[in-house]
Amino acid sequence: MIGFLLSRQEPPEPRRIKHDVVMRFDHVYEVDPALMRTITQDDMPAWDTHRIVAHRWDHLDWMHDHWADDVLSVEDLEE
Amino acid sequence: MTEVLPVGIADHVIDELRGICGDDGVRVDRPARVNRTRVPAPFRVHRWAEHVPDVVVLPRSTEQTADVVRLANRERIPVVPRAAGTGLTDGATPLRHGILLDVKRMNQIRDIDLVDRTVTVGPGISMLKLNEVLRPHGVIYPDDPASYPCSMVGGRIGTGGWSLIGARYGHTRDLVISMTVVLPTGDVVQVGDGGGRKLRKASTGFSLKQLFMGHEGTLGVVTEATLELVPRPEVEFAAFFGYPDYATAYESTGALAKSGFATLAGVVLFDEWKLAYLRRDDEAYVEQPESLRAVVALAAYGNRDEVTPAARALMRIGRETGGDYLGDEVSQGDWAARHDRYAIPLHGRAPDGQVVPMSWHCEDAALNYSVLPQVREEWHAIVARYRERYGIFDDWGMFAYTNGAYKPWGDYLVEIDVGIWEQQLDDEAWEGWVNCKREITEVTLKYGGSISACHGASREGDVEYVPTELGGAFDVMKQIKRTLDPNNVMNPGKYLLDQAYEEAP
Amino acid sequence: MTDVDPATQTFVEQWRDHAYSCFSSGHKFCRNVCPVMGVTQDENHSPTAFHANVVAMEQGLVSLEDVARDYVHCTQCGACETRCPNTLMAGDFYRHRTRTVDLVKAMRALAVDNGIEQPGWKRWVDETVRVRSEPVLDVPVEQERVADWADGLDLPIGGETILFVDCEAAFHRTSLPRAVARILRAGGVAFGLMREQWCCGGPSREMGYVDTAREFARHNLADWRDGGVRRVIALDPHDYVAFTEDYVEYFGDDYDIEVVFITELVAELIRDGRLQLTNPVEAVATYHDPCRLNKRRGIFESPREILRAIPGLEFRDVDHVTQWSYCSGAGGGLAVERPDLTAAISGQRLDRAAALEVDTLVSACVWSERPLSRAGTDRGIEVRDLMELVAEAAGLGVDPPGTGGQPAAGGSAADRRMA
Repeated sequence: MIGFLLSRQEPPEPRRIKHDVVMRFDHVYEVDPALMRTITQDDMPAWDTHRIVAHRWDHLDWMHDHWADDVLSVEDLEE
Repeated sequence: MTEVLPVGIADHVIDELRGICGDDGVRVDRPARVNRTRVPAPFRVHRWAEHVPDVVVLPRSTEQTADVVRLANRERIPVVPRAAGTGLTDGATPLRHGILLDVKRMNQIRDIDLVDRTVTVGPGISMLKLNEVLRPHGVIYPDDPASYPCSMVGGRIGTGGWSLIGARYGHTRDLVISMTVVLPTGDVVQVGDGGGRKLRKASTGFSLKQLFMGHEGTLGVVTEATLELVPRPEVEFAAFFGYPDYATAYESTGALAKSGFATLAGVVLFDEWKLAYLRRDDEAYVEQPESLRAVVALAAYGNRDEVTPAARALMRIGRETGGDYLGDEVSQGDWAARHDRYAIPLHGRAPDGQVVPMSWHCEDAALNYSVLPQVREEWHAIVARYRERYGIFDDWGMFAYTNGAYKPWGDYLVEIDVGIWEQQLDDEAWEGWVNCKREITEVTLKYGGSISACHGASREGDVEYVPTELGGAFDVMKQIKRTLDPNNVMNPGKYLLDQAYEEAP
Repeated sequence: MTDVDPATQTFVEQWRDHAYSCFSSGHKFCRNVCPVMGVTQDENHSPTAFHANVVAMEQGLVSLEDVARDYVHCTQCGACETRCPNTLMAGDFYRHRTRTVDLVKAMRALAVDNGIEQPGWKRWVDETVRVRSEPVLDVPVEQERVADWADGLDLPIGGETILFVDCEAAFHRTSLPRAVARILRAGGVAFGLMREQWCCGGPSREMGYVDTAREFARHNLADWRDGGVRRVIALDPHDYVAFTEDYVEYFGDDYDIEVVFITELVAELIRDGRLQLTNPVEAVATYHDPCRLNKRRGIFESPREILRAIPGLEFRDVDHVTQWSYCSGAGGGLAVERPDLTAAISGQRLDRAAALEVDTLVSACVWSERPLSRAGTDRGIEVRDLMELVAEAAGLGVDPPGTGGQPAAGGSAADRRMA
């Protein structure tokens, strides 16, 4: 679906990963909400979480590219 | 609200400043002054007013800067230069109000010389923005601190900056070839390694360039700098290794650092407390096994033909010394995030485990390799005691980074990161914090280290020990200050340099 | 220190956590990506200062009167809150991120609520209330004429899907909605126009006039509900943001309208073969990522997909992360209160385009296109909306850009191609 619909912005229920860390979206760690009583969490719709995660990876790519033309991986070292 | 933050400078002086910098270059509004006061280092919010400057000036040229400083000299008004305001030793925070000299409008790139390999810039330019402009020319200015996305050339000079990749490319003092300095009297001089603006190495006269590296604005204002241009790297290589204990990681660090590869740009040792802290919220570490107790990261830059064999050898050394390679994704991702993960306030945890926003204190002592393990134990014990007593401090672990220019062995920038819950800071807790800092510094000196590798040592908790550390060199420092700044106008009160004006008994 | 008045105290309490999350870090990564800072170098305009002021207000060091004017200096582009490590590295983990845009909106609203109004914005909002659409400059704006752009296109009113036409498009750059209407029809997308379209209310909200914004939003939602509208197509990112953020805030869980941004829809039409682009567009072009699309919402692929599908076009791209620091300067009311800064920011944007030696700068935001066009004229670069190019490439005809269908001064490359 290419449009925005509010009903699709509710994040899934959290499942526990370890002490203090939960996960709602695949591969996206989150703090256990029980630790956020002194600071209140924002109301963060799904699109916002996904945007932040995508932006982070894009930024990391950008930072590599800013410093060098190419990044060597370990497999590039194989003789 | 007229009685709040009165301007403590006479109207006729403000008018004269306007005559120099123009109406839009002189600001007495409270927001202008209040927002050019603190730097990212932990700050006594409740005492903000004590540090607010009287007036902000935004000069656009060396001439305007010199005229401002001359005026300040005549009127005996303090001048505090500020570039990005992202330093960590309160260099750009006034101690005595006065004129805040904001250099951000001097942000031009004046000359790119691809033949003699230099770029000349104003102090208000950020290295990141500079490198975006340099990129199409196939060159880079490789001064890469953690503050790379926000610091500026002027501040790098003022603090005597350190670069994450200094083991390959040198640090700020090595990368700045020459500068135009407005002296505390308003006189303007060029300083370099001799007289030529684009000469890296000379032996004509005293070597004055280094004097102006790390002076925290106490010896003048840099209004132009000529910088080194380095070929843009073809490749970047980063590798992160995991270890079951600190001792193994420490030995591995030493082996990698001594390996002798010219393309090795930096080696970083993460201790167990750092791993525990990273496990809180860093996706690369959240699910790492508990058996992962320490990490060593390295990076290399250069041409593919030289980096590839070096990287092969470094991988072998890392593994042979007990390192478990954490994989390309963690290595590359964490290296690219190297500027970004430090200062996030929500890393902080109150004693009950609640997330609270904390300001980041970054200790930056310079210490030799041989003493790293002992310093680590003693520093953590100190912070633990203060956390226990005050509850508003948090131990975010330690890093040790290669510190020498062009060499990864020998000495390290040793960092313990302490979170401080600023909203809860009162005078008593602040005194506690300063005492904690003092104890940390005493350990540094005990082990033959230097209070600061790169931030500068002009803050409470550090500065009291500068005379001890420098010994007789501190007397020389005072003499130089008195000679260059007869009226003590440049950032007065910093570095205990008021002592330079005390009459001998 | 003076006592803090109750209104300010409430505001400060609401914003304290977010303010300290910035203030206690103070690392100013935002500054390098802030388009306003890029032209003023004035720390008062930095996102850092916007947050620090909240702490300073609590400490009694500055008052609302002191700071209100500083908050004018923001296009609400979202670069700062995107780039801030609190968001970028940890915002998803903590569900707590930097919210400069919301803070600026809130501070502006606090000022308005306390009788501190900016003269240009006050006039703008008063006029918007009077005519129900924004007083798009130099053009007579009246509710009766809000659909005049569609003359000759025989577009129906109502239906399940409606096309919302931003005020600047409806009254000034009419070539854009005309292109979009033709594209949707050619692509087989059934749609109609609103019975009575009012301004989305976004700009009023951005300027601090919350009640006005809510009133407009209520009207528009009622118009949609009464007409059985299920889906709204937005052709401008400002509307898209208003409908998917502001309207969510106003209407809560009841809000069940699907909102689609035009480039996402058109990219799908092209992908599915429902829209054929067969007419070459001979231009050397670069793309301007609109702030609200790229930074605020992470929509940057569909416009590029479309550009790559246009035959004859040489596309010289600048990646969407580098463009975090780009902006036209038109947003957040800046063009109304500080048109000089908007012009300077657009000037910088065109300088960057000129460095690529292109003849065309393509945008997907109609509000950006006016200041970008002015700056482009100075540099021999034409500014086109992406949809205008798509219509041209699909052989659907091209209208000259400019006021009410009249050619812009000097003509355009499109004019020359049609001749």
